[in-house]
Amino acid sequence: MNPITVVLVMAVVAAFYMAWNIGANDVANAMGTSVGSGALTLMGAVVLAGIFEFAGAALVGTQVTETIRKGIVEVTLFEPGGAFGEDGPLILAIGMLSALLAAGLWLQLATMAGLPVSTTHSIVGAVIGFALIAIGPTAVDWGTVGQIVASWVISPALGGIIAAAMFLIILHGILQKDDPIVATRRLGPHLVALVVFLLVLSFIYKALKNVVKDPHWGMVLGSAALLALLAFLLARLWLSPIRAREDKPFNFVEKVFGRLQIVTACFVAFAHGANDVANAVGPLAAVVQIHAIGELPAKVPVPFWILVLGGAGIVIGLATWGYKVIATIGKKIIELTPTRGFSAEFGAAVTVLIASRLGMPVSTTHTLVGAVVGVGLARGLAALNLRVVAKIVNSWLATLPVAAGLSALLFVILRALLT
Amino acid sequence: MRTIHQLFGKSPFVLLVEHTRRVHRTVELIRPLFEAFLAEDWDKCEVLYGKISKREHKADLEKNKIRDQLPKSMFLPVDRGDVLKYLKEQDSIADAAEDVAVLITIRKTPCPEELKPLVLDFVDQVILTSEELVKAGSVLTELVESRFGGPEVERVLAMVANVNDQEWEADKRQRVLSRAIMEREGELDAISLVFWMRIIATLGEIANHAENTGDTLRMMLARG
Repeated sequence: MNPITVVLVMAVVAAFYMAWNIGANDVANAMGTSVGSGALTLMGAVVLAGIFEFAGAALVGTQVTETIRKGIVEVTLFEPGGAFGEDGPLILAIGMLSALLAAGLWLQLATMAGLPVSTTHSIVGAVIGFALIAIGPTAVDWGTVGQIVASWVISPALGGIIAAAMFLIILHGILQKDDPIVATRRLGPHLVALVVFLLVLSFIYKALKNVVKDPHWGMVLGSAALLALLAFLLARLWLSPIRAREDKPFNFVEKVFGRLQIVTACFVAFAHGANDVANAVGPLAAVVQIHAIGELPAKVPVPFWILVLGGAGIVIGLATWGYKVIATIGKKIIELTPTRGFSAEFGAAVTVLIASRLGMPVSTTHTLVGAVVGVGLARGLAALNLRVVAKIVNSWLATLPVAAGLSALLFVILRALLT
Repeated sequence: MRTIHQLFGKSPFVLLVEHTRRVHRTVELIRPLFEAFLAEDWDKCEVLYGKISKREHKADLEKNKIRDQLPKSMFLPVDRGDVLKYLKEQDSIADAAEDVAVLITIRKTPCPEELKPLVLDFVDQVILTSEELVKAGSVLTELVESRFGGPEVERVLAMVANVNDQEWEADKRQRVLSRAIMEREGELDAISLVFWMRIIATLGEIANHAENTGDTLRMMLARG
């Protein structure tokens, strides 16, 4: 077997493992609250998360995958005739494989140690790591890396701002009204319509492209608005059978938002799939194309089947292990009541989708943490433990060098073995 | 990455309401205690002192539990200092109840027959003040839901005003009783007089601390 085939086989396995890991550990944050509040059964959560993760990965996963595949490393340096002669593309493939293995290994260790480590940060650090050892600082596109790191700071902040804004809308529009029950019946369907509108908007462009060559923006907005209207009407029907006990209006509000939160949970799953699938298949996409055409993948788009593979890996991770994590998380975060959960998930999903559109690999979990902190600082939570934020920043600072170092080490070993 | 749940501290408000109940359960025993005291059933007084002391201790444990889970890194929807002050004042209610029980059990202080209705009247008014506080305090968890705003606030403020009114009533009865006791200067021995004054003052403290607790609640709402 020639070396590039060996690299390909290993990369497929490693990417699948990463996708499995993402599905097993990260999806729980999106669905846990809905299971915890009893709005969704565990089975229902797994099915919905599976559908929306897969849809997000397959439909909107391209941009971030592109960034990981060829945005971080200056791939032109690995062209045949470049620094490594004819071996250039193979070296790049080995590097991408090392990055995948290193990120997977680090995630495994960190999970065992209970550290809050981000999949995204691990893979970005790992890709930088092998590039540094293979060529040196010039091999890294520092402009893109700078943007990525900036997005890691901006995304939790933006998630927090949007979540806080949503919470304030619910607070002033419902919770502080004279009759919260009437206010919920009125405002609830509007919120569902808003979520559906944003969700549809993020993938309809691509879906329409298959039917019409270059869809007019009016057509995109129009179809999103139409589906949002449909959602509005369905939400009215869906919420009307919920009865209120007159003496406890807040119980009614929370019950309704328990259902509405299913919609935002799907939104988060969709955004998560769109952004995080790249962590598994970004490096794989590079290896696959080097294997297929023996050249650098700079110009060819990411094949659809790779995104499908990543999406499938996430779903399998969810089905084989993730459901347990959802059940555990669900029990632990009952303090996040549905109105607050709705706000936080909305803020996180919108932010992650924007980042995905811009090709920025952000951490979905960090964004969700930022969103929860946003709701907390808007004084929406009974008690917010700010110490966790420091813990996250620390693990953030540790992840980059550790993943990079591990990746560099694996790269040196694999290169010696395979060339 | 499973970090989200670590962001949530346990709600201190749920436990504060629990503490309110425990404190009131301590105060409630003051009524049977005084019945036994006025009937000069000293054995029963001892038993009731034991119960009160046990309940006060339970309230203390609850208080410590709440304090332990409110480190400085915990961000609350209201001022953390107000929450701690509320807790402290509320706990003082139970402390005062226990102090009364101590005063009653360390000396067999007699009570002139004709004053007994005045004493029970005062005791009931003190317990009523604490009861009104329980009503206001129990709404805390719902206030978290509406972020200490909205129509709920008016309701709670009215309840707090009620605590103030009841405390004022208690003050008036305290004065009437104190005066009636002093009018029996020759009848009662000096030590009994001193003890009566202390018992009455400490009973008054129960109502005073209930009022202060209510006022702290008002402060939380004013800043919300």
